[in-house]
Amino acid sequence: MGMDWFRYDVDRYTTPRAAIIPLAILVLALIYLGYTMATTGMPVKPGLDFQGGTAVTIISGEDEAAIRALVAGYPLESVTKEGGNQYLLKFGAMSPDQNEQLVQLITSRYPDASINYIDETFGATLQGQALLALIFSFIGMAIVVFIAFRTGVPSLAVIFCAFADMVVTAALMNVFGIPLTLGTVAALLMLIGYSVDSDILLTMRVLKRRGVLSEKLAGAFHTGIIMTTTTIAAVAAMLVVTTLMNVPVIQEIAAVLLIGLFVDIYNTWITNAALLRWYVEKKGATS
Amino acid sequence: MSKTRGPAKKKEAVAPPKEKPVQAAPHQEKPVSWTEVLKDWRVTLLLILVVLSVAAIYPHTEDGKLTSRLQFGLDLQGGSWIQMGFGAEVVGYETTGSVDDLVFALRDRLDTQVYDLGNGKIEIQKYYTRDDLARIFPEVNATLTSYEEGVSRNTADTVKRILEEKINSLGTRDARVNLLTPVGSSVVRYVRVELAGVNLQTARDIVTQQGKFEIRVQTTGNESQHVLYGDVITGVGVPNKEPGTEIWGVSFTLNDNGAAAFRDACIQTGATTDPENHYLSMILDGKTVYSAPLSADLASSLQTQPTKQLYATTGEGNAGLEQAQQLEIHLRAGALPVEVRVAGSGSVSAPLGEQYLWASIVALLFAILTVGVVVYYRYREPLIVFPMMAINLSEVVILLGVATFIQQLDLAAIAGLIAVVGTGIDQLVVITDEVLHEGRVPSPSLYRKRLDRAVAIILVAAGTVVIAMLPLILMDLSTLKGFAIITIIGVLIGVLVTRPAYGKIIMAILSR
Repeated sequence: MGMDWFRYDVDRYTTPRAAIIPLAILVLALIYLGYTMATTGMPVKPGLDFQGGTAVTIISGEDEAAIRALVAGYPLESVTKEGGNQYLLKFGAMSPDQNEQLVQLITSRYPDASINYIDETFGATLQGQALLALIFSFIGMAIVVFIAFRTGVPSLAVIFCAFADMVVTAALMNVFGIPLTLGTVAALLMLIGYSVDSDILLTMRVLKRRGVLSEKLAGAFHTGIIMTTTTIAAVAAMLVVTTLMNVPVIQEIAAVLLIGLFVDIYNTWITNAALLRWYVEKKGATS
Repeated sequence: MSKTRGPAKKKEAVAPPKEKPVQAAPHQEKPVSWTEVLKDWRVTLLLILVVLSVAAIYPHTEDGKLTSRLQFGLDLQGGSWIQMGFGAEVVGYETTGSVDDLVFALRDRLDTQVYDLGNGKIEIQKYYTRDDLARIFPEVNATLTSYEEGVSRNTADTVKRILEEKINSLGTRDARVNLLTPVGSSVVRYVRVELAGVNLQTARDIVTQQGKFEIRVQTTGNESQHVLYGDVITGVGVPNKEPGTEIWGVSFTLNDNGAAAFRDACIQTGATTDPENHYLSMILDGKTVYSAPLSADLASSLQTQPTKQLYATTGEGNAGLEQAQQLEIHLRAGALPVEVRVAGSGSVSAPLGEQYLWASIVALLFAILTVGVVVYYRYREPLIVFPMMAINLSEVVILLGVATFIQQLDLAAIAGLIAVVGTGIDQLVVITDEVLHEGRVPSPSLYRKRLDRAVAIILVAAGTVVIAMLPLILMDLSTLKGFAIITIIGVLIGVLVTRPAYGKIIMAILSR
């Protein structure tokens, strides 16, 4: 039936050997992020919010050359045509005075322009705050998980999977060229909440229900995958509409959530399930 | 890997009833009647909240256009925001002398206002780098122990009041001024102004524009004569009580020319000899904002010499304080007590905002529809899918209803809203699957137990989402606050209202 696009073979996917693949992906992602960090100073390519700069969206009947000529003298970095007559102009760092002149120039010529400006120090402040938000969220999540399960290994497994989700998603953001902005940071935070959803279901079912372990795993998978699928459906709908109708803020949030949800599927049902199975079987053997 | 037990076979044994129609459940229980369901407090609460929310949103037509009480952010209705950093700093110090001595010495040395904030901190209302101050402090017998760019809460509140006053006086609708303090600090770092329906150039003009301030003195009857303009006012103090009294007032300082002009006008009109018949009026942009006679002391001292330091009293108690605060703003005529510099700004044009709004509505509806298709595909049972979708929709309606009171909707908040649709359905699936475990409809006691277990899963999941979003609310990361607030409220509505109601409804349906 519909939801079984692939069979969840409990005995095959939840062995320590199966968990090697997600672990290898995690290690690769960490290396990739480390490399990006070493070469650019940030693990994920920062967008306007964090890097600073000016972005201008205008609707103009003129061609690109005319627009470039208009803003000659300003540190123009790129001009992108966003469909129709809509252009996105990106500028590098400039002084507040120069920015004010640019705003005057643009608004006098294109009253309907959208202009965004973030100065570099403000961007750096936002960066610091966003990093703190990520750390606090993660610690908060870990505390809730520990309080909920009150057992070491299962809690650690959930937290580890949330960590792996974020790291791999961040690495994939680089691959797909999605910049780190306030919006995408929010999406990453949301993933912390999302990713533990299915992990909690899995852990609760396995630890608190009676029955055969592999049956409990399979049952949890059946519910869990439909949960994730509904979320994926909502997020994919959001991505499609905002891509077609050109709403970059939501589009980026949706893209990151979507990547994260797919990453979460294997991290939950392979990594976390394998850890949990190992824990339950070990406990069963000693008691 | 086990060879004796094929995974495919086992799967069938445990699979919840995806193909088994729910109606096949044995009818060992008396069906729960619909009136009974409606009378259940959880369901009643849900219905009441939906009705209240629709009333709160209040969709109606105005001039042939559909409108509602929903507040939209700048990016959905067009407008501009400007975020400004303060050219001032709050520093810690160590000194061998008294704080007052240090403050006075610094005022002289730095030629700006310096205030003691208590707790070993002082505020310097002019921009200096940390290195500059570290070099200057030993000159005044002190050492610099900490340095933070920004201003104290008090100064920031004054800046906020001035900006709000300015914006209001221009009749700009829908404006917001917010102060932003980094986490773990008490120093306000930024002030953010949001103006709906205004382009960036206009917004910048509004924020930087200054009013025209004038003092006039009464000659005879309703006649008055010009005394001075705001340009001769060199400093304005914060509201304080007249020494030894309970009367509030604001002190301000004139330059030499201003002091001379003030004295000349008072003597010439006779205000110094007959103050009661020669009121002094302060006029801002043609509007009289303050009017009072010269005090007896001042009147007599003006006869012999000019005075640079003036003090305008407003009255006792809270009313006096409020008036003094107003007067302070008027005296400043829109000038801020500290210099600000633009750290970030942005604008969305009205047409683009409208495009975003439409896209948001389409995305939301499309998301709800897609989710509906997915759950239908999973359960193939309209009796389960319809209540699920109804609950999901009611969640969105209640969330929007609550939002009309506390949060304007911007693009990020819409993303949060759509995410809530996705997670909301998630949790209904958990409840349904948990209850339907092994394909049979359980007895009420077993049902209760399973529902509790489902609720436990949901609570932990909800707890993590709330905790994960909390930093964003506390952190003032501008646009993300809306996202976090909507997500958290959505989760809370789900956990407290809609999921419990769904649990009741699905029980009634399954027992048929």
